[in-house]
Amino acid sequence: MPDLGFAGLILKAILFSLAGIFLLIAFIALRRWYRGRYFQRLSERTFALRSQWDGILSGAVPAESWRLNNLDCEIVESILLASIELADSDELSTLLNCLRRSGLLDMRIHQARVTTGWKRRTALVALGRTRAPEAIPALAEALDAPEEETRIAAVRGLANTELPEAAIPILDCLLLGKRSIPEHTLKNALASCCRHSPGVLLRYLKQSSGRPRELLARVLGELASSDLGEDLILLATDSDAEVRASAARALGNLQPSFALPVLSVMVGDKEWFVRLRAVVALASIKHALRIRPLLHALCDPNRYVRQRSAWALAHIGSNLDDILTQVVETKDNYALQAFISELERSGAIENLVEALENHPGQNAARNILLRTLNVCRQDIEQANKAFAAAGGAK
Amino acid sequence: MRAWLDLANNTLFVYYLASNLIYLLLLITAISRNTWHRHRLASLRLERFKISPFTPPITLIVPAHNEEAFITDSIRALLTLDYPSLEVIVVNDGSRDNTLAQLKAAFRLRAARLLYIPDIPAAPVRQIYKSDVESRLLVLDKESAGSKADAINAGLNAATSPYVCVVDADSILEKDSLLRIMAGVSSDSQRIVAAGGIVRVLNGCRVSAGELKQVSLPRHSIEILQVIEYLRAFLIGREAWAYFKALPIISGAFGIFRADLVREVKGFRPHAIGEDFDLVVRMHRLLQEQKRDYHITFVPDPTCWTEVPGDLRSLARQRARWHKGLIDTLWPNRDMLFRPRYGRVGFLILPYMWIFEFFAPIVELIGYTSIVLAFALGMLGRQFFLLFLIFGYAFATLISIGSVLLEELTYRRYSDWREVGRLLLFCLFEHFPYRQMTLIWRLQGIWQYLRGDLRWREMKRTGVSNAGEQDA
Repeated sequence: MPDLGFAGLILKAILFSLAGIFLLIAFIALRRWYRGRYFQRLSERTFALRSQWDGILSGAVPAESWRLNNLDCEIVESILLASIELADSDELSTLLNCLRRSGLLDMRIHQARVTTGWKRRTALVALGRTRAPEAIPALAEALDAPEEETRIAAVRGLANTELPEAAIPILDCLLLGKRSIPEHTLKNALASCCRHSPGVLLRYLKQSSGRPRELLARVLGELASSDLGEDLILLATDSDAEVRASAARALGNLQPSFALPVLSVMVGDKEWFVRLRAVVALASIKHALRIRPLLHALCDPNRYVRQRSAWALAHIGSNLDDILTQVVETKDNYALQAFISELERSGAIENLVEALENHPGQNAARNILLRTLNVCRQDIEQANKAFAAAGGAK
Repeated sequence: MRAWLDLANNTLFVYYLASNLIYLLLLITAISRNTWHRHRLASLRLERFKISPFTPPITLIVPAHNEEAFITDSIRALLTLDYPSLEVIVVNDGSRDNTLAQLKAAFRLRAARLLYIPDIPAAPVRQIYKSDVESRLLVLDKESAGSKADAINAGLNAATSPYVCVVDADSILEKDSLLRIMAGVSSDSQRIVAAGGIVRVLNGCRVSAGELKQVSLPRHSIEILQVIEYLRAFLIGREAWAYFKALPIISGAFGIFRADLVREVKGFRPHAIGEDFDLVVRMHRLLQEQKRDYHITFVPDPTCWTEVPGDLRSLARQRARWHKGLIDTLWPNRDMLFRPRYGRVGFLILPYMWIFEFFAPIVELIGYTSIVLAFALGMLGRQFFLLFLIFGYAFATLISIGSVLLEELTYRRYSDWREVGRLLLFCLFEHFPYRQMTLIWRLQGIWQYLRGDLRWREMKRTGVSNAGEQDA
């Protein structure tokens, strides 16, 4: 090529661009063609393997006939894993036996231990989906991996097993704090593994401090059962407010006779979010004795606690006229406004007015309601107007 | 004169080369990031995320101004989104049509005297409505302040969730889009303060009752060219800039923000022309000033489908408005440029936005003029002139085809051979004559901004679901 100077450089750049265009288009076309063929073969082989599925599961069709063919192996594994997700305990043992007998499980355990990068992560995901106890050690080893992605895949894999044993390596990892793992992933994994045995979390909670302790308390708050009763009382008096809040949440799942006295104390906690959690827990307990602590919370200095308490009271459904009278007796206008607002929001107000009108003996309560309703409406409208004017002025 | 033309031509060449090389770098980064993201999704089980008690609540804010054509279907579709804890706030922003009446009838709204505290200043709210049939729905009827930002701010004042998501009333979110975007946010919830999903072109798709039934390419060339633009902007630009921790914008059509932070920056700027860009830049500013460790990210799989202009007039208005929005945000934040305290936002993305976005139409106009002049004056040989034009065209086309490749490698929403073929074919037309048309519209935007013409010009819309099942 003659020396064209700057024009030559541009010519080269054009050739580079044109070659790039050609290569990209060719790549797209080839990839589409290849994928089309692949999916056609996949479909054919899936059909063939599905037709002998019972034999594959029972072992009547020898594993060698499909294990040594990559595509067949991939299809059988994906069908097995998909079936495991929906299987009950009887089906699960049959499916796991097939995985074990064919060596697929060992192959994945081996891959999870010796490979790196995406191959390792793929193996970890598959291992988790097997829900097999023997997969746990290989998954646990990956919690020490230097790449965060691998650690996430391992935690998600352990979560998929839904076995309490799988929580142990996650908890050890959390407490030792060696490697970082996103909190949301950790919480979900622990919730998934400890759903039926939250006591495991409690043991670790007692040994932990700081952020891990709060995280464990948060998970425990979702899973706590009546077995943990007395331990939860201890947590309800913990020095860490996050732990107390979680204990309050957990108490909402327990027997009213046990939880109500503790929650009644907790609505007076010095931290507003602990009080809020206690009110939320009280709202979930269907017992007449909750009304008094809720009324106490309705006079709380914090707006969110008041609103939540008002919500809980307005949704009690019965004896609203009595509750209204007790709210009026608090002589707290904020409480009254919150309660009436919530009655309006829930649509209970019309029923309440109607009920009061049908019972002449309750004229006093009716008058209180109508008067306070009127005042509240005016208050809210005035407040909204004032806020709007302030907003406009800004 | 000759020296000036020489300088102009050389500057144009360097500018053009730099612009395309940056995009090439972004393309390579985006391919790597998208592949990484796809692998990461392999271990994510959305159904587990959905039932998790730790999945945070979201408030969807839907500003609606004269949206009677599709408001009911849109809200119904939003309420059926796959997400465990959702609150939908529709802000009727002084509509003059039957938007509110339609909402009242469809959702049995009744006035609720709720306390509304405008922490963020917004035009007065006339009435708040709750639905008798859908407890998650709240409708604010407010006076119009003439801007979408003001409507969103009113919604923010009423929002109760830790995260807010702003959605256009004429856009369609895919069923699992909120789960997917929140899965992205939750992967690092301590640091991620905002996240954007991908926005795709709805025109041509089959829509029924506010739900997307079938994805297809639009019929009109002007719309197909926008499909390529959107693919490039989102799959390449957003993904790569997010990786460099310098994402400058989260689309107003679909983005999720930490509510406390949006309140901390006083919400959306009421009269911002490009309110989405403006908000993200102000968030960057605040977080950089406070030296907080944060990340504004892009998640490429949650998808929002939106209608794009189908005629040249509307498209011209939209592009002029976008360019006005660009300068309207860049100019007030010019003090962030090259200031160490603003980190890579001040040193990387804002200079890029100034040089390769705002000045692009001006530089191109000067460039075209100087090249033609140089050619007319005999300073530029015909051979060189042609080579230069061919190079510019071929390189830019390569990048466009790269965006189609990225779509092919990752999400493959256009599954038909013929559709991909059409996309590739239209990549050849994107840089001539479409690019030159957008150049003129962007220049119009600059001119309008300099004249102080900040009016919102209506875009002609066909509506995505006017009557049952139909093509959008």
